[in-house]
Amino acid sequence: MAASRLPPAALTLKQFLQRQKVLCLYRTLLRTIRLVPNEADRQYLTSWARDEFKRNRGAKEEDAIRMMVSQGNLHLQELQRTLQLAKS
Amino acid sequence: MASRVLAQCVRSYTQRSARIIFGNITARAAAVSLSNQRHFCFNARSQRKALTAQIKVSSPLVQLCRQYGDLPPLTLDTIRERVLYVLKLYDKINPEKLTVASHFMKDLGLDSLDQVEIIMAMEDEFGFEIPDAEAEKLMTPQEIVQYIADKKDVYE
Repeated sequence: MAASRLPPAALTLKQFLQRQKVLCLYRTLLRTIRLVPNEADRQYLTSWARDEFKRNRGAKEEDAIRMMVSQGNLHLQELQRTLQLAKS
Repeated sequence: MASRVLAQCVRSYTQRSARIIFGNITARAAAVSLSNQRHFCFNARSQRKALTAQIKVSSPLVQLCRQYGDLPPLTLDTIRERVLYVLKLYDKINPEKLTVASHFMKDLGLDSLDQVEIIMAMEDEFGFEIPDAEAEKLMTPQEIVQYIADKKDVYE
């Protein structure tokens, strides 16, 4: 997340929006993981999500960030689909 | 007619160690219905006197016993304690540096991902969802306490 720690550095609108998208994705992912019935699975998934996001924290190029966000969205959709199957 | 039925019901309740609420409500209802009637029959009047006499006799012995189920009421202090407790459990926060006014990013050195996790932990603790737009503005424990107190209508 580019320049997210430095208060005086202003983010451009695009960077700001991307940052919001990343945080929104992270939050939705955590909320979906909360619905997983098995406790051990839940912890595994939360640590996986945390590590993934932290690992790519330093990425600065807009395209790379966008790719990672869309990949994260795919993971999220897969998780939601699996949960729905498990519920039915 | 209705008053007679009511009077009989109340009598049977008061005979079995009645609850004061039932007694009051039925006595009031009986009195109201009796007073609304235009034609007082002789029986109704005597029954009403018997009613009030009976209820007066049994009221000192009757106790309140209606029970409800709910969570303990929230106060600002309990909210603050719970928020600080959850924050102390979070492994990235140093418990000595944690105060009510410590900023997550500036004082405690956390980043926005950690802040998201903290807000999710607060959602779990207090049992209601915090929308994204408002969640990203909460940067100190004091703000979190204030937000929860606003949402849960806690005044002091």
